[in-house]
Amino acid sequence: MMDMNYNKKTFCLFAGPVIVAFLMVVVIPLLIGVYYSFTEWNGRMDQVPNFIGFSNYIAIMKDEGFRNAFLFTAKFTVVSVIAINTIGFSLALLVTKKLKISNFMRTIFFMPNLIGGLILGFIWQFIFMGVFQTIGEITGWTFFQGWLADANTGFWGLVIIMVWQMSGYLMIIYIAALQNIPKSLLEAADIDGANGWTKTRHIIFPMVAPAFTISMFLTLANSFKLFDQNLSLTNGGPGGATEMLALNIYKTAYTFTNYGAAQAKAVVFFLLVASITMVQVYVNKKKEVEM
Amino acid sequence: MKNYMKGLMVGGAMLLTACGGGTEQKEEKTVVDIFQFKVEIAEQFDELSQIYMETHPNIEINIETVGGGDDYGASLRAKMASGNEPVIFNVGGPQDVYDWQDKLVDLSDVELAGQAFDGALSGATLDGKAYGLPFTQEGYGFIYNKELLKKAGLDAKTITSYESLEAAVKMLDSKKDELGLEAVFATAGKETWVTGLHYSNVGLSQEFGSVFEAYNAKAVEFTYSDGMKQLFDLQIDYGRKPINATDYSTQVERLFSMGKVAMTQQGNWAFGSIKGIDEELAQNIGFLPMPIVGAKENVLPVGIPMYWTVNKDSSDAQIKAAKEFLNWVYTSETGKDYVINKFNFIPPYEGFEGDNLQPKDPLAKDIMAFSKAGNTIPWVFMGYPTGWGMETLGVEFQKYIDGQITWDEVLETAKSSWTQSRKEK
Repeated sequence: MMDMNYNKKTFCLFAGPVIVAFLMVVVIPLLIGVYYSFTEWNGRMDQVPNFIGFSNYIAIMKDEGFRNAFLFTAKFTVVSVIAINTIGFSLALLVTKKLKISNFMRTIFFMPNLIGGLILGFIWQFIFMGVFQTIGEITGWTFFQGWLADANTGFWGLVIIMVWQMSGYLMIIYIAALQNIPKSLLEAADIDGANGWTKTRHIIFPMVAPAFTISMFLTLANSFKLFDQNLSLTNGGPGGATEMLALNIYKTAYTFTNYGAAQAKAVVFFLLVASITMVQVYVNKKKEVEM
Repeated sequence: MKNYMKGLMVGGAMLLTACGGGTEQKEEKTVVDIFQFKVEIAEQFDELSQIYMETHPNIEINIETVGGGDDYGASLRAKMASGNEPVIFNVGGPQDVYDWQDKLVDLSDVELAGQAFDGALSGATLDGKAYGLPFTQEGYGFIYNKELLKKAGLDAKTITSYESLEAAVKMLDSKKDELGLEAVFATAGKETWVTGLHYSNVGLSQEFGSVFEAYNAKAVEFTYSDGMKQLFDLQIDYGRKPINATDYSTQVERLFSMGKVAMTQQGNWAFGSIKGIDEELAQNIGFLPMPIVGAKENVLPVGIPMYWTVNKDSSDAQIKAAKEFLNWVYTSETGKDYVINKFNFIPPYEGFEGDNLQPKDPLAKDIMAFSKAGNTIPWVFMGYPTGWGMETLGVEFQKYIDGQITWDEVLETAKSSWTQSRKEK
């Protein structure tokens, strides 16, 4: 009995503040947000939102802009998750080789991750529209001209900056995983006469599987939620062709001052991201091996 | 290390005294917080408020500037929601006035309101009450390079219709190599405010007649659709490609100011950017009209970009101080000098008759000339449904430029979206 009380006190003391904070900044705003999604509201705090039931959700079904944004985001996510993980993992393999410049390279590859998304978008906008254009003009190669001027180059432009920014971060995660592989396993494989590919396939991949789970989760969630880079690089243009989900929601709220509809989109968005990532983590977890 | 610590401590101490000093003085002062959108004048406006505070020791003015069109609207909402409401803020036109109506003080009794030009107050007037005082007048059109046109043997004075403009453009196009041009126009397809708001306004302004007509219209017809298409196509066909990747800075700084194009659709606010790149060129530019066949052709759209408003929920002392300050800016000698010579405004008020109070840059002078000749049309895009101009029409224009859809499809989407928004209102 004494013990229970003691535990309760400790629990309240240590977890209490966190729970209060979590309720205040996550749970309650989320619930309020869900409430707003059933209203018509123009964002003025001094006006009471008008309750309109499921109208916003029905409107989303018919919203072509939202559907296009979803398809574009899905396409973008598939491409960038594959690209970022492949490149991140390759970089990790590269810098864990005993080369003299390994440490230097780690720093270089990680650096883009330190630049904020908005700034990054503007920097690359300058590169695509200024530097590429100039290279194109000098050399006459049309490949370099008109970047971000159509949906196709806009898409690849976004993929490029996302990969450039995130692969260094994943590299760090993969490095940690690679260094955790017991040397004895690899040595045993050497003695058994396994070649490089066999070792990668049967020892390295299974051993870094937990890192894959977390990296896939991070890239999936981040790509799906991408906002800053989208806003500053293309702002959804041209012709709304590169508008991703988060930007679509932002514009619904701030440009069209349709806060209720935007909130409904945000709820759908939340459910989408949550379910997709949960499935991904479940599938990946099954592939992990226990030591 | 020791020095570093010392520096930190001194810095901290200074910070403390600064804060302490501030609160002591504030008690007797009337604080007027201003939340304004015009980035170009942020520094000069601050200077002017310093001068005002020197002569009015019991007033403290704090200016906060958030610029860039639609950002201001969102920031203002956030600012109001935060509970830290400004005393003076800006509205853009009927839609804004309607949205903020219960926050606005009637400014009809301010001396300045009586000095406003005919119609200058109308965009911020509701039920006969003037809720806003205009900032300035601005105009836009095709800014052209006088030197290049002269070299090509063209007289800008004769370009007063679509026919003559098209002939001039074709002539310039044929002499591109000789003149060192990449194209005749720099067309900013990336900026939906340039196409969706400003360009569309040339036709829609003549369709609606005034910003209020536009604001009250249940539908948009595109009466001058053919003429609008002609002029738009002219800018695309003779515009420097890729058009959808051309933004404001490419258009004005990299292309026009570097002499790589002969003309570009922009307003008198671009003068600063052009001057920053090439001072000589900046003195040698002017406006050509934006002619729409079937409508009045030889015209420049001239309008009020924003209005000053005073927050009703401020204290009486603050409201009084705010009115006095705004009045002072446009009526005192110092204020007038700043408005003309530092802000480079074209004031929509009487009282700026003196020689030293005339606009000095060539773009502003051209606007005055068009105004005197009665060749202006109003800005009506502040009466478009929220988001319609930039996010619907502008985005559709980009698809049209890209060749994805036809002109008729652009209009179809635009029309139905307008009607839809008005139904919801």
